[in-house]
Amino acid sequence: MGKSKQTGNHKSDKKKNIAKTWKTKRRTKDLDQIHADMKPGTAAKLLHQEVDYDVTGCAQHYCLHCARYFVDMRSLKEHFKTKVHKRRLKQLREEPYTQEEAERAAGMGSYIPPKTVEVKTQPVEEDMA
Amino acid sequence: MRIEKCYFCSGPVYPGHGQMFVRNDCKTFRFCRSKCIKNFKKKRNPRKTRWTKAFRKASGKELTVDNSLEFEKRRNIPVKYNRDLWEKTVEAMKRVEEIKQKRQARFIMNRLKKGKQLEKEEAIVEVKKNIHLIKAPHAGKAKKLEDKMVQKLQEDVDMGDEDV
Repeated sequence: MGKSKQTGNHKSDKKKNIAKTWKTKRRTKDLDQIHADMKPGTAAKLLHQEVDYDVTGCAQHYCLHCARYFVDMRSLKEHFKTKVHKRRLKQLREEPYTQEEAERAAGMGSYIPPKTVEVKTQPVEEDMA
Repeated sequence: MRIEKCYFCSGPVYPGHGQMFVRNDCKTFRFCRSKCIKNFKKKRNPRKTRWTKAFRKASGKELTVDNSLEFEKRRNIPVKYNRDLWEKTVEAMKRVEEIKQKRQARFIMNRLKKGKQLEKEEAIVEVKKNIHLIKAPHAGKAKKLEDKMVQKLQEDVDMGDEDV
C-alpha cells in the first residue's frame, strides 16, 4: 500500500534537488490547505485573481487542485490532462488527515473512517482564451 | 503540561521532546522525533505509511471501535483537586488499561486466525497439485499386475485340472 509504483522518473528535473523540496522555506501547499481552498468563496477568489506581474502568467491561469500557476490557457488545459493532475485529484478525494485523527489512532476515541469528497477539475472558461 | 500526540505516528510527545512545526497559516503540528517530521515534510500520508498508528487503524490491523477507547479524551475544563477523586481516577485508569490491553490482544488473535485457516486450505491445495512428488504415479501398479497374473495362472491351472 505505502510503496509507490512510479518508475522512469530518474531524469525528471523535479527529482534533481530533493533536499530543497523538503525544506520548509519554499513549502508547497498541503492537501488540507487545498481542501480549504476548494470552498466556493475562496475558490472563486483564487480563480479570478488580479493581474500580478510577479507571478507566472500574471496569476491568470491557476490550477486550484495542484496550487500552480500556468503561463496561458493552453498549458493549463494541457496540465489537466497530465498524470500529475489526475493523481492530485485522486489524493484530494479523501478527507484530509488531521491531528484529531492522529489522536483517535492513539487510543483517544474510536476510529472514524475518512469520508470521500467529490473532486472535479475546475471548469474552463472559454472566453478567457 | 500535557502529553501531546504526534501528528504523524500518534506516539506520545513528552514536554521537552520532539519538534513543533508552525505552518504559515498558524496551524501547528507536533512530532515525536525527526523521523516523523521528515516524513511530514516529504508530504507522506500517515494513512498510507505502514508504520504509523493511523495506518494500522485504517487497515483494520488493530481494535478500532470499542468502549474502552472512549475514556482517554482531551478535556479542556480544569477540575479542582480532590484527593478522593484523584485516587479513584488512578485506580480506574489502571483497570481501563487492563481491559483495553486484553481486548486488543484478543482482537489481534482473532484476526490472525483467518490466516491460519487460509494457510491450511492452501497447503491442502498444494498437496493435491503436487501429489506426484509424494507418491509416484506408477507406484503399486507392478504389484497389481503380478497379482492379476497369479490369479490368471491359478484359473488356468484349475481349468487344466477340470479337463483331466
